[in-house]
Amino acid sequence: MGADPIVIFGACLYFAAIIAIGWFTRTAAADATDFYVAGRKIGPFINGSALAATYFSPATFLGMPAFIFMISYPFWWTLSGIIAGMPVATLLTAAPMRKYAPTSFTDYYADRYDTKWMRLACSIPTIIGGFAYVILSIVGTALSMVAILKVSYLVSVILAAAVVFIYIFWGGMVATTFSTALQGVIMTVATLIAAGVIIAHYGGLTGLTDAAISSNALYFMTPHANPKTSHPLMGMWTGMVGFYFIWHYGFATMPYTVVRFFTAQDIKAARRSVTWAIIVGGAMYVGLIVIGTSAKVLIEQSHPLMGTEGIKNAVGVLAHMKKTYAIGTASVTDYSMFAITESLKMPWLMAWIVAGGLSIAMSTAAGWTMVLNVVLGRDLIGKVFGSKWPDEKPIQVMRIMTFVVIFISGLLSIDPPALVLDISGSAFLVIICATAPALVLGIWWDRSTKAAAYVTIIVMSIVSGGSWLYAFYVQKSPHWFFLSDPANKIPTPHQFYWIPIAFLLFIVVSLMTKPPRKEVIQKYCLDIRPEQPKK
Amino acid sequence: MFKGMPKAFWIGLGLIYGWAGFFMILEWTIPSFPLYRFLGVPACWIYNCLLACFVINIFVAWFFAYSEEIREQKLAEQKKG
Repeated sequence: MGADPIVIFGACLYFAAIIAIGWFTRTAAADATDFYVAGRKIGPFINGSALAATYFSPATFLGMPAFIFMISYPFWWTLSGIIAGMPVATLLTAAPMRKYAPTSFTDYYADRYDTKWMRLACSIPTIIGGFAYVILSIVGTALSMVAILKVSYLVSVILAAAVVFIYIFWGGMVATTFSTALQGVIMTVATLIAAGVIIAHYGGLTGLTDAAISSNALYFMTPHANPKTSHPLMGMWTGMVGFYFIWHYGFATMPYTVVRFFTAQDIKAARRSVTWAIIVGGAMYVGLIVIGTSAKVLIEQSHPLMGTEGIKNAVGVLAHMKKTYAIGTASVTDYSMFAITESLKMPWLMAWIVAGGLSIAMSTAAGWTMVLNVVLGRDLIGKVFGSKWPDEKPIQVMRIMTFVVIFISGLLSIDPPALVLDISGSAFLVIICATAPALVLGIWWDRSTKAAAYVTIIVMSIVSGGSWLYAFYVQKSPHWFFLSDPANKIPTPHQFYWIPIAFLLFIVVSLMTKPPRKEVIQKYCLDIRPEQPKK
Repeated sequence: MFKGMPKAFWIGLGLIYGWAGFFMILEWTIPSFPLYRFLGVPACWIYNCLLACFVINIFVAWFFAYSEEIREQKLAEQKKG
């Protein structure tokens, strides 16, 4: 089956727009501030759309529909939990971080905890997780091209890496911000169009609900209230609560979103950009719920592969696609969005979906690349190890680091080692557990200490990553409590309980160790909090 | 801890977690609760997909931003005066 000309035209149009943004913004990245933080000139809508597109990884767009149909209705709360974490950022980190106005993610850690070595400590989990995310995003971009444009996987990886490299090389954070904002709009429009077509196909939400139940009688079964539940992971309330919270605090604390608060033109724009991010991202998630709910029944009723080659159900279609395209790194769930769109048999819709898939993957790759090149070039080479190169030629350093990050990630994307994929699965949890307490409590608790930051970063990186991998290998899924009795497993998605434990550990160690200097508290706690009017 | 955090923050968190917690508890205690009819469609489309995933979050983010802009306006007026 060859690629449809309309789909090829849509993809070409998308690439042309992204490369054009890089070309036309190249003169805007004239100095270091422009390159690092887009000159701090970005308005709320552009920044908000870029925030949303950066935050959501390709797994969201490509794989979320499959998770919704496999885990069923209780998984809707996961999507609600992710979006509900976004407003929390407005006052928790967005406004204080913009008031403090750093250049890099590590600046606050070094200033607040009064040592340049804190940059190194918080960089380590960020670099490991960041590379894993860039690799996965390049794989996601390539996957879109292989599955739909029918080009080879190797060509797809090279093309994906080259395009991301070109626009970051030319325009740094300016190009990344504008292209990512456009990508945010594209992915949301693509999702909403697909959702609208599906609702119309089933004659409304009631028709869609009935269709979902007809294909899976357990679809709306929740834990405790029903004798059977939709999925073993939803056998207990811990499954629903765990999935609600695991990605909930990422928007407020993950390095690749926090740096976007630095690019806003002022504090007001930083706060308003969160509202826009929710409008763009929330709309996409509502669309994803509709698409995911219809996924099983739609694929089983209408996919061209159903009934051929012994394929009997939706999972069979996805498994067949995985086998056909033979991309060892991709899981069956990654093909769900394409399988659904193929079932609708509308080439123009597939063109939108391809553009949406490319958008979400490339925006995450670019966002993480910007974090990594600043951390590696400016922070580690310059601030930690004392080289003057980043101060004297900042743009040259950033461009070389961009090349290094994209080259290594591109190379590893060709045939990613299994460990890279495993690390990427746990990266979200590890980065939040290790770095979020020092950021959030650093701003909002005067008593936060350097020792607590070191202990939390080191201990939580080891225990959260270790338990995730242990559950993955021994319990056969990271979503079971890692020490569960194999005959009676407890669902704890992605070992989410480590997040409150990390905050608790940080508090206990802070109370046991020497408080920070008064000048540090004044400058990096009190001065960046909201100033209250006198009564 | 959290000294200086605007009251609006806690009100917003109460709304977000209160809403999700309330409906999750109903779902864990009343069989087939998501399929109860509301406004002509299964209720989960309204309280979860539309409100918990979209509308409430936009409202809370707007409320945070708006309440802070009012505070800054008051502060600016005081400083002028």
